[in-house]
Amino acid sequence: MRGITPRREQGMADPVLAEMVHATGATESRHYAAVKPVIQAYRRRWVELAPFRDGLVNAKRAPVDDPAAITAQIKAKATELGANLVGVCRLQPQMIDLGAELSHEFVIACCVAEDYEKVMQGPDAVEEEAMRTYAKCTEIATALAAHIRDLGYPAIAHHNGASEVQAIPIFYQVGFGELGRHGSLINEKYGASFRPGFVTTDLPMVEDQPRAFGVQDFCMNCNVCQRNCPGDAIPQDYVMTHGIKRWLIDLEKCYPYSRLRDEYCHLCVDVCPYNVKSNPETYRSFMKERRKVGYKTPKTY
Amino acid sequence: MEKLYVNEIAPDGTVSTLGLFYSQPEAERAADKLRANPERTAYRYEIVEAVRHVLAEKQSTRSFAKE
Repeated sequence: MRGITPRREQGMADPVLAEMVHATGATESRHYAAVKPVIQAYRRRWVELAPFRDGLVNAKRAPVDDPAAITAQIKAKATELGANLVGVCRLQPQMIDLGAELSHEFVIACCVAEDYEKVMQGPDAVEEEAMRTYAKCTEIATALAAHIRDLGYPAIAHHNGASEVQAIPIFYQVGFGELGRHGSLINEKYGASFRPGFVTTDLPMVEDQPRAFGVQDFCMNCNVCQRNCPGDAIPQDYVMTHGIKRWLIDLEKCYPYSRLRDEYCHLCVDVCPYNVKSNPETYRSFMKERRKVGYKTPKTY
Repeated sequence: MEKLYVNEIAPDGTVSTLGLFYSQPEAERAADKLRANPERTAYRYEIVEAVRHVLAEKQSTRSFAKE
């Protein structure tokens, strides 16, 4: 199956970022150049694990008489490895990168929730937490794929170190939540403060289903992320992608704050009201700080 | 910067915006890959200027042009 969803190149391979960086006379994004040792260590983790995303499949295949039972076992394994949410769906073309080809029938989605309390410690702490959870997702996906190969079924891990799949369409299809205005998927428990890891496989499993709980309707009127975005990068209008509303972030406006300065910018997700359910006190304290700066992020941020 | 959508038009006329691109060559590369996909021969692809309300819900279908 061939993928149809474009993936932006990362770092200076992204022509938009490269053009903006070069326009400043620099050769590297300030944010990437200023990366701290602890962040470098997390990034090394997913680079180190990339060669192990695929491997030999056990020739003695364990028969699957009950796909529901094996699905429950796989979910329990992922949870034991550290995943906060696990879901399964059939792989579809919109879940695969444009130009990539995957023959597997199913995809398993895992997510690790971020510690929302970090928002009170500033952007460095938020970035470190993001990288920690990405690294954890890499470990979970790598171990889960190896476990499935031990059962005798092909399985490949997809994570920050190497991936051919797209997080949002998979997260939506497995019922983790709905796509929010800020471009991240919103879960009713974790808000949008979680990171992904995936395994594609032919292990026969039972699919989860998409689940709506009013996010897209809520985002039509909320606009908190839009008002707090320092670059005005979050649009008022949406497009439709395979029947789902999608607000496409304008990278030309986002990058000056997320890539062209030293500090991390995660404000659109941090101010999302869906964070309040699991972190009511922290969310209210954080938003009180936001209101002190006029709710709208100052251009000097 | 230029801002362009690449849209996929399904046989029933439903439009899906697959991505936002920042130059004509970037959008064309994506559209060419999509058109070369033997699994999507029933679909059409278009590059349109990313303007407000282009794909608001009530305008989210296109009829196929007669050839």
